[in-house]
Amino acid sequence: MSLRIYICCKQVPDVAMPFQIKEGRLVTDGLNYILNAYDASSVEEALVLKEQHGAHITLVLIGPDKAKEALRKGLAMGADDAVHLNDSAFDGSDSHAAARALAKFFADKEFDFILTGKQSQDMDMGLTGGILAHHLDLPYVTNAVGLEADPSAKKVTVKRQGDDGQEMIDVPFPCLVTCSNDMNDPRIPSLKGIMSSKKKPLELIALGDLGMDASEVGSSGSPTSLVSWAEPDQRQPGQKFEGDADELVNTLMDKLTNDAKVI
Amino acid sequence: MHLQLNEDQKMIQESARDFAAKFVAPKAKELDETQEFPTELVGQAAEMGFMGVAVPEQYGGSGLDYVSYCCVIEEVARYCGSTSVILSVNNSLACEPLMIAGTEEQKKEWLTPLASGKKLGCFGLTEPNSGSDCGSMKTHAVRKGNDWVINGAKIWITCGTNSDTFIVFTSTDAAAGNRGITAFVMDRSTPGLSVLPMHGKMGIRASGLSELVFEEVVIPDSQRLGEENKGFKIAMNTLNSGRIGIAAQAVGISRGAFEESAKYVQQRVQFGKPISRQQSVANHIADMAVQIDAARLLTWKAASMKDHGQNYSTLSAMAKMKAGECVSWVTNKAVQVHGGYGYIKEYDVERFFRDGRICEIYEGTTEIQKLVVSRAVLG
Repeated sequence: MSLRIYICCKQVPDVAMPFQIKEGRLVTDGLNYILNAYDASSVEEALVLKEQHGAHITLVLIGPDKAKEALRKGLAMGADDAVHLNDSAFDGSDSHAAARALAKFFADKEFDFILTGKQSQDMDMGLTGGILAHHLDLPYVTNAVGLEADPSAKKVTVKRQGDDGQEMIDVPFPCLVTCSNDMNDPRIPSLKGIMSSKKKPLELIALGDLGMDASEVGSSGSPTSLVSWAEPDQRQPGQKFEGDADELVNTLMDKLTNDAKVI
Repeated sequence: MHLQLNEDQKMIQESARDFAAKFVAPKAKELDETQEFPTELVGQAAEMGFMGVAVPEQYGGSGLDYVSYCCVIEEVARYCGSTSVILSVNNSLACEPLMIAGTEEQKKEWLTPLASGKKLGCFGLTEPNSGSDCGSMKTHAVRKGNDWVINGAKIWITCGTNSDTFIVFTSTDAAAGNRGITAFVMDRSTPGLSVLPMHGKMGIRASGLSELVFEEVVIPDSQRLGEENKGFKIAMNTLNSGRIGIAAQAVGISRGAFEESAKYVQQRVQFGKPISRQQSVANHIADMAVQIDAARLLTWKAASMKDHGQNYSTLSAMAKMKAGECVSWVTNKAVQVHGGYGYIKEYDVERFFRDGRICEIYEGTTEIQKLVVSRAVLG
């Protein structure tokens, strides 16, 4: 009994590269875009489940033409097919608008579970999965670091990372689970995987195909709006003190008491 | 004119970069110190499809183009000269003669296991007294009925210690020089073939260097590659494409030295500011960046010409010459901007400096590349 898995993905700027912000806007020229690391972990976990139980894995992504690269990465890793929700009307969608569009897509789909990264590396909101689960009225578990599927019992056991330890949670099919990047080490696509990804089905879906109106997505369908970007404050360099032990203790106490005011 | 990688090539480059950072980088220093052949890494590279990148899929390869192959070699060389040359030798020096001159049966028997990474191959051309002048080789093969009897020795054979398959060039008509060379393929288990490990190299120390000795080695004529006395052309055509791989290796090692240097000069503070703000140091970084990009563009151009079925022999010599000189120059400057720290093993540029130097020597010295280029220009 094989599994039917959907994975919601996003293409994000590679946060390991330096960012530039000019006049409150992110300079996107020259940025390298990658498959969101949390989504890559979702793909890896689904592939492991596929190896164990058999599965059909479909990637779903909202984004412009360029975002197809992220889908190809997931397909090259081993996903079976992909759906690209690509329409300029989606531009500027916040988590609410994105989840609304995804919910429309999933409305007539049958599946055992949807996986998605617990957040995206660029915005770190962590909202889309939860809102999507709400729209679809699905049981929902966040921050998974492990997954065990039991297709015959129609349930997935989620190892969830909590503040004080790990929880094991049984969730019946169909459900939605958001994945941590601590879950696994995503495989690197082989050359064979990369070339076979070209031949895998990739369905393009526009706003009209979802039966949606432009006012429901994009900035007009988003209750929140990104006003501006700002760089974090520069960290002040540390201070180095010299002297014998007594002098150092006195200096340090003075600094902690009078400058930092932590004592 | 497009000077960008296409979508497939970018994905291949990214995968090779991730592979190199994850698997190669953590082992590179240890490999240099121990001189141990990276068997596990080579196995992992095989799983990625890196052992026969440009070999057609029907013969176990990945069926990709030479630009993609260059991307793979550069990314691996970024961290480890030894591992990158092992890939280069198998991909080009071992697989290419079989692709050029192998019969269908030979390809199935010998090429498929090499290109899929199930077996490892090497290339025996150079001898103690026959380097650039390969027409003077002493290893000879004498025909006896349907067999050949081979005697002689080869030296500086990269991957020899761990190879299963040996491509060997022999003199079959000493008086004819280059026109009297015949190529053969043979298995490691062939009686009379001895593999003697060689140690003490300056760089690429884990690449399984060896000497090959042939004492009354008997192999059937079915293991002859190409026509009798036509081996020189097989060797030269193999080296023409092999040089593109070595150029990519040189670019990769240069990039390693450059990236480490760019990081270091922004961290190293002297006279109250990072040394990157000293113009003389910043100039070195700029010069390195330009050298590397120029070398890479020539390398990719040569690879692209090969991919498009054009005559690329002059361009591969140009790329090898430029990239070879680039890596010597860049790694030298990398040591310089690191100061004393560049002169100790703790910092990777010391290894890059030693690893890069071979790129001006093997698969045709810089001087031989200049000969090829000057003949093409002057006629």
